[in-house]
Amino acid sequence: MESHDSPGVVDSKFGTLGKAWVGFLSLIIFGGMVAWYQQLQTGLIVTGMRNVFSWGLYIMLFVLFVGLSAGGLIISSAPKFFHSDRYESLARFGVLLSLGCITVAGLLILPDIGRPARIYQFFVTPDFRSPMVWDFAIVVLYGLFNVWYLWLLTRRDLAARGSALALGTEDSAEGRERDKKVAFWSAAIALPLAVMLHSVTGWIFATQVGRGSWFSPLVAPTFIVKALVSGLGLLLVTAIIADRFTNFEFETDLRTRLGKSLGVFLAVHVVYLLAAERLPHAWAANFDFWAITSGFLIGETSFFWLWTIPGGAIPILLMAIPSIRKQAWAVFTAGALAVFGVIFEGVRLIFEGYQAVNINDAPGITTGEYAGMGSNIWAQSGVYTPTLIELAITAGLTAVGALIVTIGFYYLPIQRRDMVKKSIADGGSDE
Amino acid sequence: MTNYGMVIDLERCIGCNACAVSCSEENNVSMSQQWNRILTEGGESMDSPAGSYPTDGQDGTLSMNHLPLSCQHCENAPCVKVCPVNATTKRDDGIVEIDYDKCIGCRYCMAACPYNARVFNWDEPVTLPTDGTGNVSQREQGVVEKCTFCSHRVDEGLDPACTVACPSDARIFGDLDDEKSTVSRYIDQYETDQLLEDRDTQPKTYYIRGEMSPGRKRSGNELEGTEQKETGNPNIVSTEGGD
Repeated sequence: MESHDSPGVVDSKFGTLGKAWVGFLSLIIFGGMVAWYQQLQTGLIVTGMRNVFSWGLYIMLFVLFVGLSAGGLIISSAPKFFHSDRYESLARFGVLLSLGCITVAGLLILPDIGRPARIYQFFVTPDFRSPMVWDFAIVVLYGLFNVWYLWLLTRRDLAARGSALALGTEDSAEGRERDKKVAFWSAAIALPLAVMLHSVTGWIFATQVGRGSWFSPLVAPTFIVKALVSGLGLLLVTAIIADRFTNFEFETDLRTRLGKSLGVFLAVHVVYLLAAERLPHAWAANFDFWAITSGFLIGETSFFWLWTIPGGAIPILLMAIPSIRKQAWAVFTAGALAVFGVIFEGVRLIFEGYQAVNINDAPGITTGEYAGMGSNIWAQSGVYTPTLIELAITAGLTAVGALIVTIGFYYLPIQRRDMVKKSIADGGSDE
Repeated sequence: MTNYGMVIDLERCIGCNACAVSCSEENNVSMSQQWNRILTEGGESMDSPAGSYPTDGQDGTLSMNHLPLSCQHCENAPCVKVCPVNATTKRDDGIVEIDYDKCIGCRYCMAACPYNARVFNWDEPVTLPTDGTGNVSQREQGVVEKCTFCSHRVDEGLDPACTVACPSDARIFGDLDDEKSTVSRYIDQYETDQLLEDRDTQPKTYYIRGEMSPGRKRSGNELEGTEQKETGNPNIVSTEGGD
């Protein structure tokens, strides 16, 4: 137990382990830069993408990281909007995590673009009919909002610390009171902004008539729930790691309660929304009762099973049993599996769009890869395996996000002792 | 207003690929790509029929048809609507065009096109001869490209290269807004369908199936309703059309 009589800011001190971690991240980032340089030199031919399967790992992970950015911001803004101190001890950490994720999401677009030097065209001649323009705007807005919100939540403590990052803000009791009001109004913006971010990202796909199951009104609501699942999962995993390796504190009862919420979100996502998506198709396509049932319950791809069993059934089970969800390892595992599952749900979405071709008569579509006279340039369906270069670039960008969170953790007052105390006093009546 | 469209008589089409070859040649298309593809409606591979051979005095069930497929220049073109930077636009005459200097290569348009009409330059384009062919300059690596209805030729009052190249007069190009144009009259007179009509893209390429049309007798390269061009050599496909 910490001593409650010193409600100051928790100092983050990095030992050898912290330095090794930063060194490790730098190495991954360096690897990503080398791979990216190679891709810029040679072109997107070094990826596994071709004409039939024209979006790959970058977009799959863009979707993932947009979702991951949800958990932190929602957990820190929702209680503030309802004037509650419930998750106060996680509030700043959540926004920092959210900022790290949205930065990775934004950066992941860059290596996917064929001519990145022309990205300024987004500002010069945007077409406001394009869902990508909506998404570009909202990702930038969301990122900037996270910066503002993180600063708002920490500026008085930064001032008290005498940090230059306070940007002239002074620490005073009235100032802190005023900040609470500003935080309420900021939270009132944060929630619709988060809903918009995930919906618009869903609409990038849901507006498209040409790519199989993408064209579904269910995509946007699913993106919101999937953001809650993966965002909360990542928050739990990282908070448990921070609690374990730094003097950041993640209270046991808070962890248990959030673990239970994760179970509920998972059930809505993997059980309810999936059923809502599959049942009408299974019913319409089959005649016998058992044929309808198996069409409904049995998925066709490995991505489906990776998503629903390790990414759905197992974490739901872990969080459903009260004695298990009290354990840190169980919440950690459930959070990690929830993120794992959502990765494959995103992979599945892209595969469903590109695997089958609407008009697939022979010889098919040219792939865009020419290996000399007599080589086959045709394909009748989409196949995709990410290349090492794609993996290295995405790993590097993910490490950038981890580095942002690590640096933020080091330089910002991420937690105050009195926040932890309050949370414990508030929520002892859970079980 | 002019609104260009095309009629392709699938009953006249013999699947010779002359239109595909002339397209690649005229438009300087890389060896890794084809803007204009001739699909075989039939068996598993190109130019193979579906069904079985006649045996033991029975009738066979062999059937095969060809489907030339390129950009449909849709009225409600999803590719135009998704382009974030306005690089893909619709001209006043209805031709869907790409500004290759503007395209950022995000490939959202490829996701949007239900016909897979668009191709991306993943690699440096390869042409034979190496310095290119035809009358259109080479696209750079990293941009999306597709059929333009040979807008550079249309601007000079010439028919698209594929239309001129067709030996069986299966392709007719013209103004859909002009009731007297051959395309309008053929759409009126013959049973035509558009590809993937259920997607509401309103494609402007109409396919005749069932009853064969007489085809439009060709005597030159000229766009219908325009006067004979001095520069146009009716005996060859390539002309001094633009660029």
